[in-house]
Amino acid sequence: MDPGATEQAGRTLAELERLRRRTHRRAHGGAWLPATGIAVLLLASMALYRHPLGSASSIMADHPWWAGLPDEQRNPVTSYVFWFVGTPLLFAATGLWYHWRARRLGVRVAWPLFVGTGLGVLALLAVFAAVPTGPVPDGLVAAEGPFWPGLLTPLLPLAAAVVVLGRAERSRGLVVAGGWIALLTVWLCTSFPLGSVPGWASWLLGGGGESLGGQLALRPGHYLVLMALPLLSVAAVRLLSGRADRA
Amino acid sequence: MTQQQPPHPATALDDVVHQRVRLGILTVLSETHECRFATLRDELGLTDGNLNRHLRILEQAGLLQVTKGYEGRRPCTWLRLTRQGRAALHAEVAALEQLVSRIRTATDQPDPQS
Repeated sequence: MDPGATEQAGRTLAELERLRRRTHRRAHGGAWLPATGIAVLLLASMALYRHPLGSASSIMADHPWWAGLPDEQRNPVTSYVFWFVGTPLLFAATGLWYHWRARRLGVRVAWPLFVGTGLGVLALLAVFAAVPTGPVPDGLVAAEGPFWPGLLTPLLPLAAAVVVLGRAERSRGLVVAGGWIALLTVWLCTSFPLGSVPGWASWLLGGGGESLGGQLALRPGHYLVLMALPLLSVAAVRLLSGRADRA
Repeated sequence: MTQQQPPHPATALDDVVHQRVRLGILTVLSETHECRFATLRDELGLTDGNLNRHLRILEQAGLLQVTKGYEGRRPCTWLRLTRQGRAALHAEVAALEQLVSRIRTATDQPDPQS
């Protein structure tokens, strides 16, 4: 092959890369809206807790954790309505957003998969929560028993939806954000009281030595901010890079 | 005993995919779930007829899927890359990169006759 042909192959590759980047920005520039919406929903759920940021002398919390995290909620019915109405409303708004963008820009994102996953896991949560269980244990003591009822929380459907959104939007940041929400949720919802650190984890973090474990002095509001931060960062990056392209 | 040479990367280039416009079509579609015919046409600066001709070749090769529908009252065509199309694009880009790096390496080496 002559050097001219090689040069042309190199030029073709560079041109394809430019075209790929331009199309990526055009197709996936709308991810900031659902990411912000989910972050706002997470932060708004702080209002469901009796002491979202301040410390409490005692905590009463029963399965399922309708507020999201295992802490004392103001009213379980309000928490239930917040998630079971708020989440579908957010998904509906996201669907409208993507529909409008597809009409305007001529490119579609696989958003129905994101909405389907979120609603599907939320429906599963409702089904599992309806399974009859034994009497509720005394809320003032750490409940012993199987860990899985702790996973009945409206935060997991949201985490699953964020992971799928990340795949649809080709965003590693969103996939990581979804994984981060799931990780925090599983840890916080399968241990009581909130933020308990098991002995082995303290041993691991402390670099050896005997440890009975402990508890982080953070409240539900702090954990919700930690969950929302990666989402807001991804949203800000997408929004700013989109603005820079238009300028 | 003769040592078998690896095949030249040029043999991996696919005639259906290698054409410049068709590579562009596959690249745009690889970054979207679905893309409108008019958007693709404007992005690549083609005429309707020219784009149609290339789309037919790619569709016959099973590399893309064409869906016709309506947006309001206006007819609208949406295009989507198939799994086979995505694999073909990856293979083509990999072959091109291999080809370029092979020839660059050859030209970087000093000529033994000089």
